Amino acid sequence: MPAARREPTTPTGTPTRRAAVIGGNRIPFAKVGGPYRDSSNLDMLTAALDGLVARFGLQGERIGEVAAGAVLKHSRDFNLTREAVLASALSPETPAYDLQQACATGLEAVVGLSNKIRLGQLDSAIAGGVDSASDAPVAVSDGLRRALLTFSRARSARDKLAALAGIRPADLAPSAPTTAEPRTGLSMGEHQALTTAQWGITREAQDEIALLSHQRLATAYDAGFFDDLVTPYRGLVRDQNLRADTSASKLAALRPVFGTHLPTPATMTAGNSTPLSDGASTVLLGSEEWAHAHALPVLAYVVDAEVAAVDFVLGRDGLLMAPAFAVPRLLARHGLTFDDLDFLEIHEAFASTVLTTLAAWEDEAFGRERLGLDGAFGTVDRTRLNVNGSSLAAGHPFAATGGRLVATTAKLLATRTADTGRPARALISVCAAGGLGVTAILETA
Amino acid sequence: MTTRRVVELDAVPGLGGLYGRGGVGSARLALARALSREGGRPLDAGALPAVEYAVHDLRASTAHLTAYQHLMGEPAGDALPAGFVHVLAFPVATALMVRSDFPLPLVGMVHLANRVDQHEVLRHTDALHVRAWTEQLRPHRSGAQLDLVVEVRREGATDPGAPPAWRGVSTYLSKGARFAEDEAPAERPPAPAVPHGLPTAVWNLPADTGRRYAAVSGDRNPIHLSALSARAFGFPRAIAHGMYTAARALADVGPRRGPAFSWTVQFAKPVLLPGTVTLRVVPRAGAGASRVDSALATGGYDYTGWDARRGVVHFTGNITPSDA
Repeated sequence: MPAARREPTTPTGTPTRRAAVIGGNRIPFAKVGGPYRDSSNLDMLTAALDGLVARFGLQGERIGEVAAGAVLKHSRDFNLTREAVLASALSPETPAYDLQQACATGLEAVVGLSNKIRLGQLDSAIAGGVDSASDAPVAVSDGLRRALLTFSRARSARDKLAALAGIRPADLAPSAPTTAEPRTGLSMGEHQALTTAQWGITREAQDEIALLSHQRLATAYDAGFFDDLVTPYRGLVRDQNLRADTSASKLAALRPVFGTHLPTPATMTAGNSTPLSDGASTVLLGSEEWAHAHALPVLAYVVDAEVAAVDFVLGRDGLLMAPAFAVPRLLARHGLTFDDLDFLEIHEAFASTVLTTLAAWEDEAFGRERLGLDGAFGTVDRTRLNVNGSSLAAGHPFAATGGRLVATTAKLLATRTADTGRPARALISVCAAGGLGVTAILETA
Repeated sequence: MTTRRVVELDAVPGLGGLYGRGGVGSARLALARALSREGGRPLDAGALPAVEYAVHDLRASTAHLTAYQHLMGEPAGDALPAGFVHVLAFPVATALMVRSDFPLPLVGMVHLANRVDQHEVLRHTDALHVRAWTEQLRPHRSGAQLDLVVEVRREGATDPGAPPAWRGVSTYLSKGARFAEDEAPAERPPAPAVPHGLPTAVWNLPADTGRRYAAVSGDRNPIHLSALSARAFGFPRAIAHGMYTAARALADVGPRRGPAFSWTVQFAKPVLLPGTVTLRVVPRAGAGASRVDSALATGGYDYTGWDARRGVVHFTGNITPSDA
């Protein structure tokens, strides 16, 4: 007797459906060596995940899939996200996978899961990211690693001794992770210093961005904006890096730390660059049906995304300039201009990253020669840019930044639509190591 | 042009032994100079031995190739990096300079410049036919210079008239050597200028850079190994192998160079170890380069390595795809 054929719940060949951002939860971001110094990536991701579960009543819920990642990752954390799921109150039958795209990890997790929801492969999903600069993996040197591996493969005592005899004193020095690009030997800050020089960005303009970031983030906290987005952890209730009392004169007093060997003036300081940070973030995504069935709100929809990469190796473009190419392509695909955006979230890797990106879009020659347009791409209305502050104030635990941006932006859009009764639209742009950039459009409808 | 006598070697000679013999030969030449009333016989253009060394069926070991690729930042594929072919074949050329009829001392030879023309990619599975000779002995303002030429073909390459898959020319200076007629240009050419533009890379070279390149190249010249051994030869600290710096520049340009290219380097001031080298690579405009969407199809790349703190250039060179 043939098995009863069931009707597919998602018929093949149907148009895609919409992927909703339902909410987010993160732990406050801490400074390196701060209150999270003893917390592992797994600890922090689990804390952020459990906060999300508590916020949306997901205890015991089987979520379609959880995707998250960390940039600095211990080799033992090969299944970091699945382990975080097992440690959380979610159903242990919730599948998970890890991904990593440097600082774009969190946003790419949102984009990938949203696409699965749009295709009908998932009804619900959680995207996330975590990084610890305090608990960064320190590896043994190549020489010691090879000797230990040879030792473990050796059968006889003699071979084992021979393997250990091959260890040199210099092999005992540990190998710590660096932020240097493998192909150029330049740290991210030194790369951005080149881009800063290339576009002639001033110290004053960078400090202004940094000051605004602190002021706006502090105002948003004071207004309670983050009350349903952030769960305290290890005694921290706000981002540790936030300095509500900073001023232009305090920022101006800081000594430049990047680009000090260039022929151009050094302008990048610890104040207008993001600090090394610890933290984790999560975003709850779902189909509209799933959200309604669970009596959960829809803040916004993930409409589309565009990725780009630049040839930074020989210096044609700056390391962090890929979004300058991704955003024009993304907006063009939807027939949009900057005027059609209510909010722009441009990740503040450095204050000057925001400014070099804006400068490229305002540059006639860049528009013509690099973007293939008739002229400059456009000018961003600064009152719509990073309105609640960004990474300069909040800190930047690499993989956790995407989730912070998406949850913040979705709430901004929902609030705007609730206030005006009209749909609102936002752009999110994240640059990343390796010359990468990931950008996305969110909107309410 | 004189005809060269071909001497077939059974295998590539070991560089360690060559340096030993080179030391003895150099001492012999120094002694002859000291004893002779005129301070040694002056050179003429025909003083180089009309001999060519050849080695057949040379193969690269996988372990050696991988060690070289990892050190230089080349992808560890089966293609032989152009700098690795230099390393493989170089002992054959060096063996020519320790012959008793070679007129210049090996010890103290200064690598002035290098040029490699790669016509096709050699692979780790290829059996190689290596030929090497010296030529073009000529005056230099502070001595005599000559070229070491190495040609590498795939064994059994059918067309004898075709260019070799790989051809390298290493130009060396023997300081203090005298020519019969003083034809050397007395004037020192201007030192290469530090580039104006922004750097493309910074190499932080640790103190063991020379030892690590010595391990993959076999070139254990004491000037590269430690501060102590370098001091014996008049250097304040160990210096990086010139070919290490040139091969890193080649690796930085990466796959853009294409399968066939020329790769040149002129060495200026040595790189002291440990040290920091600032590198700038500039694409030359070429036909067919699309401005909007492609960084490829340029007319090649000029590179300069320098010391940003002292404002001194270490080396300059270019990498030019053959189809540029």
